[in-house]
Amino acid sequence: MTGEPMLQVAALRAGYLDTTVIRDLDLLVHTGEVAVLIGPNGHGKTTLLRAISGIIKPSAGRVLLEGQDVSGWPAERISTLGLVHAPQGDGLFGEMTVEENLLMGAFPSASWRNRRQEIARIYEQFPLVAARAGQRARTLSGGERRLVALGRALMRPSRIMLIDEPSLGLAPVAIDAVYQAIGNLKRSGATLVLVEENFTHVGAVADAVHIVEMGTIIASGPYAALSADPAIVRTYLGSL
Amino acid sequence: MVATDIVGIAVTTLILGSIYGLVAIGMTLIYGTLRILDMSQGSMVMVGSFIGWGILVVAGLNPILAILAAFAATFILGVLTQLASVQPLMKRRSAIDFEMVTFITTFAVAMVLTNVALELLGPFQRNVTSVVSGSISVYHGVNLPYQSLTMALVSIALMAALGVFLARTRWGLAIRAVAQDLDAARLMGVPVGKLYPLTMGLASALAGVAGVFLGGLYFAYPQAGDLPLLEALIVVIFGGLGSLPGTVYAAYAIGLIQATAEVIVGTTWSLPILYTVILLVLIVRPHGLLGKPSEARL
Repeated sequence: MTGEPMLQVAALRAGYLDTTVIRDLDLLVHTGEVAVLIGPNGHGKTTLLRAISGIIKPSAGRVLLEGQDVSGWPAERISTLGLVHAPQGDGLFGEMTVEENLLMGAFPSASWRNRRQEIARIYEQFPLVAARAGQRARTLSGGERRLVALGRALMRPSRIMLIDEPSLGLAPVAIDAVYQAIGNLKRSGATLVLVEENFTHVGAVADAVHIVEMGTIIASGPYAALSADPAIVRTYLGSL
Repeated sequence: MVATDIVGIAVTTLILGSIYGLVAIGMTLIYGTLRILDMSQGSMVMVGSFIGWGILVVAGLNPILAILAAFAATFILGVLTQLASVQPLMKRRSAIDFEMVTFITTFAVAMVLTNVALELLGPFQRNVTSVVSGSISVYHGVNLPYQSLTMALVSIALMAALGVFLARTRWGLAIRAVAQDLDAARLMGVPVGKLYPLTMGLASALAGVAGVFLGGLYFAYPQAGDLPLLEALIVVIFGGLGSLPGTVYAAYAIGLIQATAEVIVGTTWSLPILYTVILLVLIVRPHGLLGKPSEARL
């Protein structure tokens, strides 16, 4: 252990073409912590995850993984350090089968060797995914897609996992299944960054909550403190 | 129609469809992955036929060596073509008309290769020895040259191998993943900067092998790639851009139409009939046989 935080984001600026979405954003995520980014739509939560994982290049500021500066690295290189990002919209390969999607989760050569054991483990953990193994990903329901995306994220050992809106667009029963899997991850000691629009589902898993508005973090604190502050709940989060 | 005609049509369809498929499938692989129409694919056929000529005729060596050498040389040439004419534009992909610019840059590579061949080897049509000689009588009056049979079998074997590669191997899956969702593929750790040149190398190598056989059927000469390029373009558009199964169906469908027209109304009418059918099919199905409005991705 280096004693460094798992993820450190410092004075980050990022966006698309001429639009800056993330402004001077700082964030610390400690090893074994579940950090939840909460805030209204269109205020930069997804862009922040994309800048951390390298899909977009930050225009200023730094991203450090356990002390290693990865700012400006391409996503495929950051991924090899053990950062797993389950993106918004699941990012499944639609014309590929569920099993082929899972195999892609084990793409790095070190994981590829263990792909069969890992797939068996995922099938055991998610029987719904196992039942769809040979089906093309584009034919799945929203809940099935989310579980496949989570299963794919679990196909390789990771140091930190970013999950973008795990509950988005799902029926309540599917949300329960997804959050049950996230709860298992937390109990196994995983470091997680979740993005959600509100407090509704994260209570059982969140350690730290960061409120993102206008491309920066305007409030941070333990889940219990922020969710108990009526001003914050009313102003930024709607009702509980 | 008599039995001889039917057997003749079947044999010609097998031969034409297989070689059309082999010439065109690389183009589909490239379009499905990179979203570009690679106009240098015809040059790879030309280079392959010259390598066939060099190894079989000039050096008098083994046909298998000719096929392997054509595969290796056009693989490298395809990688270099990608690095020279496509890769420099990748970063500006969203800011330019990527498909049109690369259409021209790969066409430029094709013109360079054609003219280099013209300068180095002259405008002559070189006879390429058949990979295998002799023929087999399939049915009364229907002869199948071993050269054509070998060409068909090698083409089918290579297309099947490509299918297995894409369905079963780590890098094959990665090519399909990049074709279907680039950002997600990068998040999986797929090094797209290496994958794109390798994909174009692989596609070019298939065209190069086709060139060894086509050189044996026709000749090796600097413009030997022009007609195969045109045929490949027609096959991939007829099959639906970016669809590998579509390309295979289209190759055999075109082979069948051409063979049927040849047998029933004669060789002079086969091409007008073929292109009339293609015209009508594309008017009814503008996205091709298996193309989708969203464009197929392998």
